[in-house]
Amino acid sequence: MTKLGVDERWDLIDKISKKTVTFGEYKHTLKDAIGELTVKPLTGIPIAIAVLYGFWSFFSSFAGFFTDGFFVKLFDEHWLLWLQEIFPGKESWLYYIFVGDPSATNCFEAFGVLTSGFFVAIGVVLPAIVAFYLILTLLEDSGYLPRLAVLIDTILHRIGLHGYAIVPTILSLGCNVPAVAATRILETRKERFIMMTILAIFIPCGAQLGIMKEVIPDTMGFVIFYLFMGYLIFGFILNKIIPGKTPEMLIDVPPYQMPTAQNVGRKLWMRTSSFFKVALPFVLLGCVIVNVLYLTGFIAWMGDILSPLFIGWFGVPSETAGPLIAAFLRKDLAVAQLSAIEMTKYQMISAVVLVSIYFPCVATFAMMLREGWKELLGSIAVLAVVVTLYGGLLHLIWILLGVA
Amino acid sequence: MKILLMGHPNVGKSVLFNRLTGANVIESNYPGTTIDYTKGYMRVGGEEVEVIDVPGTFSLDPKDKAEEVAVKMLHESRDATVICVIDASKIERGLYLVLEIIEEGYPVAIALNMWDVAEDKNIKIDVVNLERILGVPVVSTTAISGEGIKELVSRSRGTAQVEVDDIFERVED
Repeated sequence: MTKLGVDERWDLIDKISKKTVTFGEYKHTLKDAIGELTVKPLTGIPIAIAVLYGFWSFFSSFAGFFTDGFFVKLFDEHWLLWLQEIFPGKESWLYYIFVGDPSATNCFEAFGVLTSGFFVAIGVVLPAIVAFYLILTLLEDSGYLPRLAVLIDTILHRIGLHGYAIVPTILSLGCNVPAVAATRILETRKERFIMMTILAIFIPCGAQLGIMKEVIPDTMGFVIFYLFMGYLIFGFILNKIIPGKTPEMLIDVPPYQMPTAQNVGRKLWMRTSSFFKVALPFVLLGCVIVNVLYLTGFIAWMGDILSPLFIGWFGVPSETAGPLIAAFLRKDLAVAQLSAIEMTKYQMISAVVLVSIYFPCVATFAMMLREGWKELLGSIAVLAVVVTLYGGLLHLIWILLGVA
Repeated sequence: MKILLMGHPNVGKSVLFNRLTGANVIESNYPGTTIDYTKGYMRVGGEEVEVIDVPGTFSLDPKDKAEEVAVKMLHESRDATVICVIDASKIERGLYLVLEIIEEGYPVAIALNMWDVAEDKNIKIDVVNLERILGVPVVSTTAISGEGIKELVSRSRGTAQVEVDDIFERVED
């Protein structure tokens, strides 16, 4: 078999195309006009802000409509009352694990597998996931995402990433697991490491966003802002200390396309069902494990040991130990659990931030391990530093503001 | 029989794959959606054909991990037929990958996909002549709506190895 050199190959292609392809007059279409408006900074940046704001408003109103308008009533007024009535033995450990606190008046406080477990998974997280993926799919199929990448390229280069890193970042807002896989499109190890690490630490997933919206609706904006600043700050630092390059990458900006209902529907279904397969078992299992740990006194013991760290350094109640253990299984569950702990608004912000930046959930952890154990160890080292410094910084801010 | 779907990122390989096998792999309108391969099966004339959706790659000289998967997949499937999926509106760069794969001795069939986009851009391709020069089946397709898929499947069964030297000769005719 003859093998050609690069130039020979292009020469041959040139000859072939001369004989077979004719380029007719090209008319500027509406698609091109929209295409230009969305990548030129002057018009593109306002459009991007509008798109992201629209994304957020749809997400919160859609999820809020179903959660507050329907599931909260269903679970608190019917499901919880019914379970408390029919489940035998209010003093037994079985009751504690499955129904939870017998005096609870809502499904957040009860923290049983059948009460909080199902409420978190179905009542809160499901609407959030559906809302998120519906919009994400529209953005994906229309072809807007690569344009966002072009716009944000300059900013992301400052943190050692290419503009295209916005794609894993946005995917990560749905779930960190596919986002870690998506880092494979980045060219160098350095880029992949930075991306994977700051994704796993700073980007809250859709489930977590959904539950935060329920538990801390007023202060959620600040939490997101603080996490996003962390993403930029630590990305910037990692870029400075990690050797390696962030090459310019040429990407194709595809033509805009009208998303088809069939594809949107199918993707929504695939992602929602795979969320259920992966998440539901972990939420329920997480409830069981945490309840057992409470019953055996393990969490109280951990809280005692860690209380200097929690109270002194992070400025959160020592009971936060429980949610932090749950956070390794599911972050949504951990945030739900935080709502049952008595603390000030500012402690709550710190605790939610800690739950977010502390260890990635077990599914993300497994995915990172698949990408390479050296990278995983590196990420864990970064994570330890981030939790200590960035978590502690928040406490310092509260002290300086006089609210801690 | 085994078919690999190869081509540049975001030319519609996954859309084609879902159409062929009835599978559900995620398809999106941006490059880099498929980062790992997926296997599926279709029946052609009573025969079971394995179809593999391969991550997009610009050439056989990989630039990132997803492209590495693609090239490795090709080299591990010596017995496969390759359906090269080309964006018909950017045919030249697509042909680069086609030639590389032909040079490695794989039987190839070409799907000139996104035919509708090429038509919108007023690009005309002489499919018959292209097929004559390359010596492999060339079928225009629009995977999203399903046009040309049947023809692509039936034509890709009869394809065989071709020599680049012969392509050089035929292009001068």
